Amino acid sequence: MRPRLPFTFGLRAQLALVALTLLALPWAGYRYVTEMERFLLEGQEQAQIATARAVATALNGRPQLMRLQPAIDSELRAEAEAELQRLAAANGETPAPEASSASVAPTAPHEIARESTPREQVAEISAILAGLERTTARIWVVNRDYRVLALAGSLKGPEAAAPQGLWQKLLGWLIRRPTEDFDESVAADVLATGRDIAGALQGTPGARVRNTPDGRAVVVSAAYPIWNGDDVLGAVVVEETTNAILSVRSRALQRLLLVTLAAFAVAAAVLLAFATRLSNRIRRLRDEAESAIDATGRLTTRIATGSNARDEIGDLSRSFSAMLARLSQHHAYLESMASRLSHELRTPIAVVRSSLENLELQPLPGEARVYIERAEEGLARLNTILTRMSEATRLEQSLASQERERFDLSAVVAGCVEGYRGAYPGHAFELRLPAAAVGVDGAPDLAAQLLDKLAANAVDFSPPGAAISVSVEREGANEGRLARVSVQNQGPPLPEQMRGTLFESMVSVRKERGGAAPHLGLGLYIARLIAEFHGGSVRADNLPAGGGVIVSATFRLA
Amino acid sequence: MPRRIAIVEDDPAIRANTVDALKKHGYDVAAYAGRAEALAAFRMRLPDLAVIDIGLGDEFDGGFALCRELRALSAGLPIIFLTARDSDFDVVSGLRMGADDYLTKDISLPHLLARIAALFRRADVAREPQQAADVIERGPLRLDAHRFAATWGGQPVPLTLTEFWMVHTLAKFPGHVKQREQLMRDANLVVDDGTITSHIKRLRKKFIAVDPTFDHIETVYGMGYRWRAE
Repeated sequence: MRPRLPFTFGLRAQLALVALTLLALPWAGYRYVTEMERFLLEGQEQAQIATARAVATALNGRPQLMRLQPAIDSELRAEAEAELQRLAAANGETPAPEASSASVAPTAPHEIARESTPREQVAEISAILAGLERTTARIWVVNRDYRVLALAGSLKGPEAAAPQGLWQKLLGWLIRRPTEDFDESVAADVLATGRDIAGALQGTPGARVRNTPDGRAVVVSAAYPIWNGDDVLGAVVVEETTNAILSVRSRALQRLLLVTLAAFAVAAAVLLAFATRLSNRIRRLRDEAESAIDATGRLTTRIATGSNARDEIGDLSRSFSAMLARLSQHHAYLESMASRLSHELRTPIAVVRSSLENLELQPLPGEARVYIERAEEGLARLNTILTRMSEATRLEQSLASQERERFDLSAVVAGCVEGYRGAYPGHAFELRLPAAAVGVDGAPDLAAQLLDKLAANAVDFSPPGAAISVSVEREGANEGRLARVSVQNQGPPLPEQMRGTLFESMVSVRKERGGAAPHLGLGLYIARLIAEFHGGSVRADNLPAGGGVIVSATFRLA
Repeated sequence: MPRRIAIVEDDPAIRANTVDALKKHGYDVAAYAGRAEALAAFRMRLPDLAVIDIGLGDEFDGGFALCRELRALSAGLPIIFLTARDSDFDVVSGLRMGADDYLTKDISLPHLLARIAALFRRADVAREPQQAADVIERGPLRLDAHRFAATWGGQPVPLTLTEFWMVHTLAKFPGHVKQREQLMRDANLVVDDGTITSHIKRLRKKFIAVDPTFDHIETVYGMGYRWRAE
């Protein structure tokens, strides 16, 4: 039996590792979402520039609107800042456009045409801006002195509903949603350092992405110059947070996470089930392949596991079966070899013997007689070999037609041991029998033949004078289903690698060869055939501490 | 006038050797290699005894067929099977075909000659009037060693020579255990233990066919057999 390594890295673990490559999917998805975000951002910039241009077009060629006194400017500025504060205090609530236009532009738009007061001028700009106002965009008009002339709208959109439930909270924690809670006031340095505004005042429209002062949101601002002929009068700045895009992005990411998680779970479950099935099939096949040749060397000719499957495992199973079939053919050939050989040899031997016998009838010189005697001696030995070789086959044939009778195994064993005491005077036989009769269905002659083989085997290996003990005992769960006949000798232990094959045809552990009584390794094979006929088996074990060998056969009790 | 023995054997060497040995012992021998050839000759003239091999050339069971045909020609002609086949099945088939004995080729020529002589004697005696002879009586058993005839309670038990010699050995000293080797020697057999066992088994069956209560041949496990006295 080959040593089996523990599964440290089984098929299931390997497939689970392979399944990890599915984790590349969410990464690819993330890359895609990022790309989309960049694209949307660009679109937003273009849209804002377009808005700024629209406003600037409305204000083009009206220099009087852009020229404002510093006093008014400061007044306006304070007003704009107050408005900003109010908006900030509203904390994300959409400022009502009516309110802002009502407070900032109380005058009617038709007054713009005539020479108007600065306040009226501002109101006119505000009116233009109000028409373009959007909920999440802020539009201002800046003159060449970086003074804010008008302002409309707010950066803050409606705050999204707070995440509900643990699951959404967990998602929100993993993927941050954009917040509307940020500081939208315009720091002076934003005006001063805004590259887009500076560019627009130089006559070049531009866009820029900046963080809010508190860093909680990102604002895209686009600026477009207001022309008067070839002069730049001021700039229109359109600001909008990227929150819309960000919330689309975070929703996409959340969905992506959920979908990939679900897909991963499903794929992993499917792969695991597949791997389990696969490894179970392979394991069953392995178990069956391992038990195809049993301890007594018998072959199973068919592997049942997966023999009908149309995949590689089925293929493997079928080729195992084919291999076993060939092996068992070979095995059967070897087993029948002895009898076939003995049968084939019989005729030429008869020729030799009858020739010798005819020769003996001739008047021969004395010298020739010696050679004839030697030839006959050799012939007799050859005959013994042939007889033994065919014994197993003859037994197999007779087992097929053997009639069964009920007999007492103890009585047979007792009689046999009595016989051995006479037949092998050099050995002491000890006998242990159960008190009650051991009833067995079978053939007493065969049982005696089996014991003959075990005894002959024990005598061959037992050191001279050492006791050979023979015992009969009942064993098995429900009051002895089996009777075990054991013959124990004090000879050398069996080589470990021979134990499985000892009961096969033509296997012998004897080292010495020749002699008048040839050993063909058929004795224990015959014992096995007889035990199997009686529903039992034979086995050989070494006694602990090299104390000898115990060979035993079991019989099914009647 | 010498007795005429027919030998049907496909192996030329064995055939020649057997012919030579029989001729040396004063028999008139006719040898045939095949079934058709032998049968044609038998139709012309019957031998006094026939020794037949089972496998004849290409005919696997040619000897069996020949035995049946020969038996049809003559009911009393002694027929011996001499073959390499030693399975129980072949032995039983051969004896059922009407052969008087079944020998394997292990047998030596002297043993074969002894059997041939015995069979001739049995055939001769059967034709002669009853006379006092070498008779053993053990209860219902009566063995006539001169005629090789056995009776049980007056009824004849059809035994082959081998079986007769076995019963003779056993019954001569009732109660004595006869080892297998001894039985083999007395029956002029060279076989293994298994063959002795099947001979004994057939022997018992033949007696049981005459008397269903027969149980006088006792197996002494590990030693041999004995005739159980009354």
